[in-house]
Amino acid sequence: MNEINTIAKELLTSGKVNAVIGYIRYGNDKRTKPFIAQKPEEADKFVINKFILNNLAVYLTREEITKLGKIGIIAKGCDIKAIVALIQESQIKRDDVYIIGVNCSGVTNDFDIDFNAETVAGKCLNCEVKSPKLFDVTVGTLEDIPQGEDKKLKMIRGVEAMNSEERWDFFEEEFDKCIKCYACRQACPLCYCEQCIVDKSIPRWIESSASKRGNFSWNLIRAFHLSGRCIGCNECERVCPMDIPLSLLNRKMAMVTKDDFNYVSGMDVNAPTLVGSYDLKDNEDFIE
Amino acid sequence: MEEKIISKENLLKLCSDLLKNNVDVITPGEKGYVKIKNENEVALNSKTKHTKASFKEYIFPKSEPIIYYKKNQNDVEIIEPKVEEKTTVIFGAKPCDIRSINILSKIFNWDYKDEFFNVRANNTVLIGLMCEYADEFCFCTSVNLSPTSVEGSDIFLLPLDENNFAVRIVTEKGTNFLKSYENYLTPGNTEKSKAVEAAVKQPEKVFDAEKVKEWITGNFESEYWNSVGRMCLGCAQCAFVCPVCHCFDIVDEDYNYSEGRRMKNWDGCQFDMFTKHASGHNPRNDQTKRYRQRISHKFKYYPDKFDEILCTGCGRCSRGCPVSIDIKGIVTEINELAKA
Repeated sequence: MNEINTIAKELLTSGKVNAVIGYIRYGNDKRTKPFIAQKPEEADKFVINKFILNNLAVYLTREEITKLGKIGIIAKGCDIKAIVALIQESQIKRDDVYIIGVNCSGVTNDFDIDFNAETVAGKCLNCEVKSPKLFDVTVGTLEDIPQGEDKKLKMIRGVEAMNSEERWDFFEEEFDKCIKCYACRQACPLCYCEQCIVDKSIPRWIESSASKRGNFSWNLIRAFHLSGRCIGCNECERVCPMDIPLSLLNRKMAMVTKDDFNYVSGMDVNAPTLVGSYDLKDNEDFIE
Repeated sequence: MEEKIISKENLLKLCSDLLKNNVDVITPGEKGYVKIKNENEVALNSKTKHTKASFKEYIFPKSEPIIYYKKNQNDVEIIEPKVEEKTTVIFGAKPCDIRSINILSKIFNWDYKDEFFNVRANNTVLIGLMCEYADEFCFCTSVNLSPTSVEGSDIFLLPLDENNFAVRIVTEKGTNFLKSYENYLTPGNTEKSKAVEAAVKQPEKVFDAEKVKEWITGNFESEYWNSVGRMCLGCAQCAFVCPVCHCFDIVDEDYNYSEGRRMKNWDGCQFDMFTKHASGHNPRNDQTKRYRQRISHKFKYYPDKFDEILCTGCGRCSRGCPVSIDIKGIVTEINELAKA
């Protein structure tokens, strides 16, 4: 029994929460999967290790989970940024959730190989929330995150160096692979719309077909709708079955919003959202 | 079943001939099933892992126009596209992939003969390759298949050694196909090929599909369904990478006020819109109901209707699931419930 099991068990026994959502072992000894515990004895199954990749905040806006009542959630710093953003956007109340924050020293998707600078997830390299900023209790001890090459940033610089035609060709090749499975949307904690724009048919704004036009418009509209909101958990890219580098667009837009508006999503529950507010000091030099 | 031998060298020559004759050769590569440009790209390694997605899109495209329409002053002009009769060869697919075409053919020729599927399937030659890769997600042997099963293939290859393959000619289509390449083939050695077959490690059979079907039949309201589908996020990764999932959506796309096209697109039963009625009512209004449908369709409804399990045990759905939902584990659990 570890710290996490004790905490989760106590929460369920005391009735402080109706369910705890976290990670359990799955398959070989290292891999994990999401799990929801409702009975105290089920809390024994939870683990914290280097393979707790999923962003469980995605469940906080799913009715199958929220109908259970107050939820305890085991969350890394990046996951908590999603919870903060959900509170900022009035999708959940702070009191609806009990946050078990994980002091995280990096995670990886490569359970076959050892955790090191090569295999650590790209998002962990520049992490500013190793120690969670919002929580009810914390668990785990911090170590150094192995410093690997920021391959994604290199890719972004590569695309920035392309001219419009080259960029179009690059994204056309990537989006052609898209099969419109919407795994990116479903895994994203901030894609919580009850009716997604792609599901609206009268009129049809975004085509549902996995055609050139349908794929381009889908991937672009998602990038637009996440601009200024995406917290960089990279779940979209992890879950894409066609290996489309989705984080390119999302991370680039986060860089733009930081540079142009000095705004970073998911850091402050009390901060107004970027696209939901205006500041008289906002840059207006593009208006002539 | 006739059996021959082909050397690796001649197999590559055969492939090169196909490409010279403008035949589309599709093979499982590192980036999935791709159309090759050079015979050296062809997949002949029986030990490789499954591709992330099946080759389904070459016979049942992810998105295709079925009608073009043009509204004129007094009528509507309909143009029906014809599917190109292009010879295609799927080269080196595992038994769990190759079997899919026979399974799909039943639904696409049931109450309506789907020409979009049939023309492509009829013009495709399926060359299977014995499989020597089995991981914790595989369960072909539990759904009446095996790593050496020729079922569904027109021609089936078994590597005899580093440089030679046994060629099992399974169907008439396979026989006709090889007529042009007779000089590449030498007499078969069934003793050797049977020995190779016997040495292949078979995944352990983990459930009895009949018992599973029986349990599903009597347990629509079971509590079990509440937990099984709860973590599912409702995307269609599993359905779209699956060799045999076949649900589709028909939508009209206007180019402008007067012209447009009607599209047939892959659809997934895990989407919340899948069974949403125009009235707004949704009979499967939560994920647990939708997940019950997925398992039931694969292991009961389709077998009842067509005498085929709508699953080949390839494990792709589970390998790729964003939240690690494991169909092998679930069906095994159901088997346990059936025994109790």
